[in-house]
Amino acid sequence: MTEDVVPVMRIGDTLLVALQGDLDDTTVMAIEEQLTREIADTSASGMLIDVSRLGVVDTFIARVLARIVAMVRLLGAQAAVVGIQPAVAITLVELGVPMGHLDTALNAEQGLALLERLRRNDTGAGWL
Amino acid sequence: MTTSAEDGQDPGADLGDLEAMLDAVTDHAVVKLGPGGEIVRWSGGAQVLTGYAADEVVGRPVSLLHLEEDREAGLMGRELDSARDGRREFQGWRMRKDGGRFLARVALTPVHGEDGAVSGFVKVFRDATESARTESLFHGLLDSAPDAMVIVDPDARIVLVNRQTEALFGFGRDELVGREIEVLVPPRFRDRHVGHRSGFLADPQLRPMGAGLELSGMRRDGTEFPVEISLSPLETAEGRLVAAAIRDVTERRETEQRLQRQRDEILELSTPVIQVWDKVLALPIIGTLDTLRATRLTEGLLEKIARTQAEVAILDISGVPTIDTQVAQHLLKTVQAAALMGTVSIMSGVRPETAQSMVHLGIDMGRLRSRNTLQDALQLALAVLAERAGTAATAAQALRSGGSR
Repeated sequence: MTEDVVPVMRIGDTLLVALQGDLDDTTVMAIEEQLTREIADTSASGMLIDVSRLGVVDTFIARVLARIVAMVRLLGAQAAVVGIQPAVAITLVELGVPMGHLDTALNAEQGLALLERLRRNDTGAGWL
Repeated sequence: MTTSAEDGQDPGADLGDLEAMLDAVTDHAVVKLGPGGEIVRWSGGAQVLTGYAADEVVGRPVSLLHLEEDREAGLMGRELDSARDGRREFQGWRMRKDGGRFLARVALTPVHGEDGAVSGFVKVFRDATESARTESLFHGLLDSAPDAMVIVDPDARIVLVNRQTEALFGFGRDELVGREIEVLVPPRFRDRHVGHRSGFLADPQLRPMGAGLELSGMRRDGTEFPVEISLSPLETAEGRLVAAAIRDVTERRETEQRLQRQRDEILELSTPVIQVWDKVLALPIIGTLDTLRATRLTEGLLEKIARTQAEVAILDISGVPTIDTQVAQHLLKTVQAAALMGTVSIMSGVRPETAQSMVHLGIDMGRLRSRNTLQDALQLALAVLAERAGTAATAAQALRSGGSR
């Protein structure tokens, strides 16, 4: 299957993904397949995931985001989530969804700057 | 007045049987009167009740039981006249042989002779003093209650109302008794009310009515007012009745609304978000931070972040008297929510004693950056922005140079 389920825009070295509408398990699987493939195909070093147009962001979506970010990192790129709306942020905090490991930015512009910082830290002193 | 079992055909013996049965009834007096009210026959019950033996009273007018003033006013004649066309029931004070008074509940039935004319009366009465006392005690109790009380029968017809009900709803007692309880309910709720009351009768227990709903009552003039109602079932000889205590809560509602309005205003006033620099917001927190305020605070800050795209938020707590675990929890939630949107928070205004007590309480603010004064916090904010601007420039440059690292 190589069908694209989400629009992906390439900005320089970074892929910008806009998640939309309501996501179910099948769609999520397809999205994960598409995004990992695109990272591998393009050798992109970063991915911005825009969630501002998602219908709902709940614990399910939070887990989905964490999974996508983990996959992207395994492929050697950096990932950040942008466009979390005020109501969504409050809901996630109230639900106690652990989001500490996610890197977030207000918009795509600041997201690009955030990815740049992440890349720098990544090239700094390593773990070993 | 005895009879043999074998001789059941003798009409005289039957009559004797009847008289013996009549005499055995001791809680009712049964008296046969002549057409003019003179006593013809006096039952055993009458003797028990009044103290007079039959031979003392037979032949005398029944008015000997009346109080003196009633006797002089000709009460007996009026009572007999009223019953000439058929059975009448009434009650009144009577006097025993020893002069003691009792409230008699009387049924007076005319007896007709062969020619159709009234040949006499049967008077049956009992001592209702005790039940009257209980009833008046009950009425007194109802009238002394601060709430309007309405008692309805299983068909929801009003059986009894107290004085407060009259005052509250503007109906007279006579206008209410016998009507359905829905007369006190605004028309738009009536259909639903009928359903609810059937539900209550199916499972009657003491409970407030319409839990969580705002109930309304309707006065005689059609105006409505907010009420609180508690219901309780009453098991009586007449079946299962329902007592409803109705309280007018107009004043309390108004006070609550006023309080709510004031609270809202205070909240609005107390959670300002100020833009102190390009991309830097400051949030001076003053006073105690409860859950409601903390929620407003977070909402206010996040809305402003969305509008201004600010990258740094300074939470100044110099105006907060004490930071306990709860307040810290609220602050952390605000910080986390802002972080999810991509905004960094800096806490400022932490006084030495606050720092000490927070650590002693075991409050962990995580990686939240904190500064002593607002000025220091602003400097830190600008440093953060500068660093971010640097990377942003690099990012832009990388973009221009064709996307290679």
